[in-house]
Amino acid sequence: MTEAIQNVSQPQIEVENLNLWYGEKQALKNISMQIPKNSVTALIGPSGCGKSTFIRCLNRMNDLIKNCRIEGRVLIEGKDIYGPDVDVVDLRKNMGMVFQKPNPFPMSIYDNVAYGPRIHGVNKKDLDGIVEQALRSAAIWDETSDRLKSPALSLSGGQQQRLCIARTLAVKPRIILFDEPTSALDPISTSRIEELIMNLKKDYTIVIVTHNMQQAARISDYTGFFLMGELIEFGQTRQIFHNPQERSTEDYITGRFG
Amino acid sequence: MIEMVRERYFQQLDLLKKCVLSFGELAELIFRDSMSSVIDLDITLAEKTLALEFEADKLEGRIEASVFDLLALQQPMASDLRLVVSTLKISADLRRVVGLSMNIAKIPGRMEGGHVKPLIDTGKMANIAAFMLENSLRAFETQDAQLAREVAARDEEVDKLFYAVWVELIEMMAKDTSIISRATNLLFLIRYLERIADHCCNICESVVYLVTAKKVTLN
Repeated sequence: MTEAIQNVSQPQIEVENLNLWYGEKQALKNISMQIPKNSVTALIGPSGCGKSTFIRCLNRMNDLIKNCRIEGRVLIEGKDIYGPDVDVVDLRKNMGMVFQKPNPFPMSIYDNVAYGPRIHGVNKKDLDGIVEQALRSAAIWDETSDRLKSPALSLSGGQQQRLCIARTLAVKPRIILFDEPTSALDPISTSRIEELIMNLKKDYTIVIVTHNMQQAARISDYTGFFLMGELIEFGQTRQIFHNPQERSTEDYITGRFG
Repeated sequence: MIEMVRERYFQQLDLLKKCVLSFGELAELIFRDSMSSVIDLDITLAEKTLALEFEADKLEGRIEASVFDLLALQQPMASDLRLVVSTLKISADLRRVVGLSMNIAKIPGRMEGGHVKPLIDTGKMANIAAFMLENSLRAFETQDAQLAREVAARDEEVDKLFYAVWVELIEMMAKDTSIISRATNLLFLIRYLERIADHCCNICESVVYLVTAKKVTLN
């Protein structure tokens, strides 16, 4: 693997020799990576390469899968999240996740965003402010401020996805994980969300899995290329798309296989 | 592991390369004939050569259109992107070589009274420039950065010959003012040859870039 980024100062996420098995099948092989703070890192690779599996290691979503075994370390701000004294609920509060299919709860727009803060015990009087702030940060306040009590499912697909982002932001994570967030959306909604992601990196560290290479090229600062469970190359997006070091990276991004 | 999933795209890339090489062949022909027309003071050949400018414009236009299509519709990346962008530059350099050759082909019509001196060093310059043109294009065809560097290194010989002939012509004009008009045309000729060699260096720089992703100055 090309060691392109070993001198990241203060990486927010450090992965060291991560291996994962689903039963007998090894899905991740010796992954090491450093993700800098306040940046957008894109993970690309063909179907089944392990990029979604990898991202689910960062917030321990793979814990929920039977027969899933992990070796190695994932350090968030220096602390190993697979350590014995880690509070997984607290971990997931700090790591927002947005999925491919928008999944608003079947409740009002307001309640969707307020759900997380309520569960974490936020004062009722503070909720209005938190909901507004989150909806503004997700660039959807203008479209929803006059109908916060309307059902979330009455929104369009693109709006629902932004609502899901607002829901994530409401619990003030430090890191946001996106798993193919725009693959179900039309081009304009996609552009809006890409614009939003690029703005969010001022305050958050973002990791995005995408099978859309042009998207990775447009919005990310760093790109990692996965293939058959291995991290083949990791580096600055400009360098990966301009002059990749590994033959298989070049072949993938030029469409010589997929 | 390699399976060709973008057949049409690869065919378009291939076609673009072939177009550039065709343009290169045309530029070589035009240059060769323009020099022959000057050496032999052959006005018929000169006029035939001048008529080819239209053909060169067509080829350049086709290359440009292909590049825009590829960029807009196929989003080439990495070495493909470097190739596509380089073909634009190489095409522009070839067009300049054609333009300079056109200027050369206009000289026979202005040389009443014949040559003022035998074109020995000028002939050497032209041979080196022709070599550089042919082989910079070969370096492009075979993506050979080493060859590109070797070809570009010959530019120094062209520059040396340029200054030698320049000095010689100035001295001749100082001694015999009746040859000034014809000698001036030769001054232009060696200037055109020197510029053609420079454009070949540019092509070599483009080849090094597209192969290695490094920007170099070989001039």
